Amino acid sequence: MKIKDELINLNQQKQKGWFKQFWSNLYRSIFRYGKIPQDAEGQSYAVFNNLFLHIHPVKVSRHSLKFSYTFGLGIIAAILFLILTFTGVWLMFYYFPSATEAYNRMLDLRSSVDFGFVLRNVHKWAAEAMVVVVILHMARVFFTGGYKPPREFNWMIGVVLLLLTLGLSFTGYLLPWDQLAFWAITVGTSIAGYAPIIGEPLRKFLLGGDTVGQEALIRFYVLHVVILPGLMVIFMAIHFWRIRKDGGLSHPSENEPTKKGNSR
Amino acid sequence: MREIDTKQVFTKDANKTYGLMELVKGTKPTVGLQPDDMVFTWPHLLIRELVLFVVVTAFLLVSAFFFDAPLEEIANPNHPPNPAKAPWYFLGLQELVSYSAFIGGVLVPTFIVVILMLVPFIDRKKIGIGKWFAKERSFANGIFLTFLIIMLILIIVGTYFRGPNWEFVIPWETGGLH
Amino acid sequence: MKKNYTRTKPPEIDRRKFLTSLGWTGVGLSTLIASIGNLLYLKPAIDYGPPTLLRVGKPEDFKEGIKEIFETERVAVIRDKKGFAAISLTCTHLGCTIRTSEMGFECPCHGSQFDNDGFVTGGPAPKTLDWYQVAIAPNGELEIDKSIKITPGTYFKV
Repeated sequence: MKIKDELINLNQQKQKGWFKQFWSNLYRSIFRYGKIPQDAEGQSYAVFNNLFLHIHPVKVSRHSLKFSYTFGLGIIAAILFLILTFTGVWLMFYYFPSATEAYNRMLDLRSSVDFGFVLRNVHKWAAEAMVVVVILHMARVFFTGGYKPPREFNWMIGVVLLLLTLGLSFTGYLLPWDQLAFWAITVGTSIAGYAPIIGEPLRKFLLGGDTVGQEALIRFYVLHVVILPGLMVIFMAIHFWRIRKDGGLSHPSENEPTKKGNSR
Repeated sequence: MREIDTKQVFTKDANKTYGLMELVKGTKPTVGLQPDDMVFTWPHLLIRELVLFVVVTAFLLVSAFFFDAPLEEIANPNHPPNPAKAPWYFLGLQELVSYSAFIGGVLVPTFIVVILMLVPFIDRKKIGIGKWFAKERSFANGIFLTFLIIMLILIIVGTYFRGPNWEFVIPWETGGLH
Repeated sequence: MKKNYTRTKPPEIDRRKFLTSLGWTGVGLSTLIASIGNLLYLKPAIDYGPPTLLRVGKPEDFKEGIKEIFETERVAVIRDKKGFAAISLTCTHLGCTIRTSEMGFECPCHGSQFDNDGFVTGGPAPKTLDWYQVAIAPNGELEIDKSIKITPGTYFKV
């Protein structure tokens, strides 16, 4: 249906009741092009007139939709990040970054708060899954040659995203303040301390002191809930944007033709 | 060539339902050689994303109901567990640290990150793109697969085969350390 | 007749280039200074942890050859013929708290072993345990300063 026709259509709706008309006007002011798009024009507008959908191109190649090509790993990683953001913000309502209080809050989440254990468990398992999925996604891109020109930069952004994922997981590890958390972070930051010159300052920087304590908890908390997720969002935006700028997912048609006679 | 009248190029035609959206640099249109290769994002991609979202969420909810996230006793700086382990993804590095602190803690991680960053600049030949384990690039794939398998083995050894005093143990003989 | 204007030496850099590079230098320097300021802000300036100075008792309370352990402070005080020593109980390998053993000290996390002076005798630990400075406080007690590390093997004589 042409836009002009739609507009004419709108003007001719005067015979409707006032509420129906208001409702229709309201709906049209938000979604200009009908409900479920039926034709090519509607399908195009549906994607590029919607803030949340317009990160997609209007059309994608069949090859990139094949599940056996990507296993949906990139999208799963993004979905996990969304779930982690949601559950993480919800957990913040009860969490308290204090060496004396944090552990009690974990017990409260488990026993007293309604659905507290679900949010904590989902957050934990989604975090573990995200590390695995991001590594698998990187393996997928490598094994299909997806890092080759023009996608060099996006591969590098991907490496940064992997490091951020590890950083988020590591900083989150300390927050429950149990034995597992305390000693994993003690050991982990000591490993960082072995780097020449910057190692020891970096360790002190992360811990806010010589040993894991209250200062380390507050630093890890700020990194975990603000700084690293913020960086993650920025780099994810660049990553997604570059997929489109680099011409979508890698595709066999990008291969340079080999020598004559060698037709593959 | 030099004097493009931009007003001309971007003129709106009231009879057209399409407009110029963006200019993309490239030697050929990305639409592909065969027109059949492209499908609409709505519904083909969006429905897949929705399905993935539902599946992932359902999977996490089910796991959350059946498996509790671990929570040990409150942190006590005076009583280290034996052995003390880093998060699982760092256990490969910790395994290396137990041989040499410098190699495991500094050299290997730095090397891995630098090499990963440089991968697309080392291997630039546009062959074997868009295909799993293409024969043309079995060498590169082989190296990366070996790297992944070595890291996986180190992580498994660090997670399951290291007991008290970081000594080598066989998990099923010591009655399930983990 | 055509006049020939020749410069003896062309200017190496013209004004526009000079001012541009001056501008960029300014931007670069301010960014650098701002970054340093931010990093300095984040550098742990105050030690909120347990106090670094601790008094452990009169020298005569310690018996020769016995390692006195102060668990929460992570310090072992040793009396020897040579004098007193305060050795850190934080493992130099990966930061675990170590405990005494027959031979000296051992780390329960990853099996590092140390002798009575904190020198490594086995396991993955890369270096000797830290030695802290020992002094006599005005009230006659031994005072250990955990913020000052001294060369391992230097005993404090009363």
